Amino acid sequence: MTVILPLLFLFTAISGTAVVLVRDPARQVFAIAVNGLVLAILFDGLQAPDVALSELAVGSAAVPLLFLVALMAVRTQSPEEKP
Amino acid sequence: MSPRVRIALLALAALVLLPGAAEVIAGLPPFGSTIAQYGERINAITPEARHVANMVSAINFDLRGLDTLGEEFMLLAAITGTVVLLRGRRGEGNTGHAMRRPGRAVIPRSEAVILACRIAGPLTALFGLYVVLHATVTPGGGFQGGVILASGTLLIYLGEGYAGWRQAIHSHWLDALEGGGALLFALCGLVPMLTGAAFMQNILPLGIFRDLFSGGLMLVENLGVALAVTGGFTQLFLEFMEETRAADEAEEPGEESA
Amino acid sequence: MSVLPYAVAAWLFGIGLYGIATSRNFIHLVGCLGVCQSATYVLLLGLGYRWGGIAPIFYDHPPGTPAVDPVMQALVLTDIVVGATLTALLLVLTIQAHKRGGSLDPEKLRPMRAGGTSGRGQGASRVSDREQSTS
Repeated sequence: MTVILPLLFLFTAISGTAVVLVRDPARQVFAIAVNGLVLAILFDGLQAPDVALSELAVGSAAVPLLFLVALMAVRTQSPEEKP
Repeated sequence: MSPRVRIALLALAALVLLPGAAEVIAGLPPFGSTIAQYGERINAITPEARHVANMVSAINFDLRGLDTLGEEFMLLAAITGTVVLLRGRRGEGNTGHAMRRPGRAVIPRSEAVILACRIAGPLTALFGLYVVLHATVTPGGGFQGGVILASGTLLIYLGEGYAGWRQAIHSHWLDALEGGGALLFALCGLVPMLTGAAFMQNILPLGIFRDLFSGGLMLVENLGVALAVTGGFTQLFLEFMEETRAADEAEEPGEESA
Repeated sequence: MSVLPYAVAAWLFGIGLYGIATSRNFIHLVGCLGVCQSATYVLLLGLGYRWGGIAPIFYDHPPGTPAVDPVMQALVLTDIVVGATLTALLLVLTIQAHKRGGSLDPEKLRPMRAGGTSGRGQGASRVSDREQSTS
């Protein structure tokens, strides 16, 4: 346990950084989903199964979907613009 | 403000605030050494006082129920705002055609996807219900279970297409679920006052420790939260999905899902 | 190790702010805001953890077993769900801004006017920084 938790914290820092540094929103969606998954695993490691369950459902399913739909709505809105 | 100025300002703020942050971090108790006295007392007292096994649910629905009432109405307000903004331009009517980017092929849905969704959909719903119902015994509760249930309805969209999704999900029901859940939670606070107890006092029989029906009023509040979150998130998905439909009747034949 | 979780929380918050400050796309910006949000989760749960503590659910373990702090978990739990709806609200505002302004770039955001289509920043939405800074 003493090794796993620091590793998980580091993973969280890396995946959070990845969300920021991936500039293309279409790719960022996947970074967000991965970040949600890593956070869920970290929360489970921190003995918070309730929070992990919530983060798993919200962070890696619901929120990326909302981002995808927003992206799609924005992209298809003005077809006269460059595709 | 140009990006360069903004970054300079941010760097300046970071320079000023970093020593403060370092000071605060140094003042915090070392990670994993101790927990706050409040949590310690809750862990010690609540299993006997409330007959529930899950402390997180006990805090959410009983000890700090008022906070959850506030959260519940924040949820309601955020979703209402989203729906109002989305419907403001579109109106409530919906169209049968999906918008598509010109030049992108529409790939027909394969039978494997339909089968997988038909199997996974009911299983997801079952798991969501399990998580909702076991709020006071095992990890779970209305918040998590509600999101799982709402995500499960998306499998209908994936497997059956837009028409099947609209047939299964009705916006009015979702409004009723969302508002009714919030109302139920508020009533859980008000009804105890009719009996002379305090606001949100747990007046129902507490049940047996580790039993599914333990926790008294918490079960009703949990149900209220589950209804509100399920309805709210499904409403959110529904309205977002509407946003990807064509604004008016396009002459092109719709994609195969219609 | 004793300060690593707090350092990670501070780092996440800082990198999220950096992303917000440098973002050229509102959708990307909302994602960065989510990183800032996750920093608070990491901080709260890190504060509530105790080595060797069990999850605060006394089903398999008898009550009285040393457990982690349930208050922090309750705080984070509700915030995750409510935060998702707020993310949805922000995304909808983004869509509206794109509908009215024609661009997702925060640099090109103009004040809304009653007329509706004000400050239409059509065309190539990715102009280089130098051209941007003149406006």
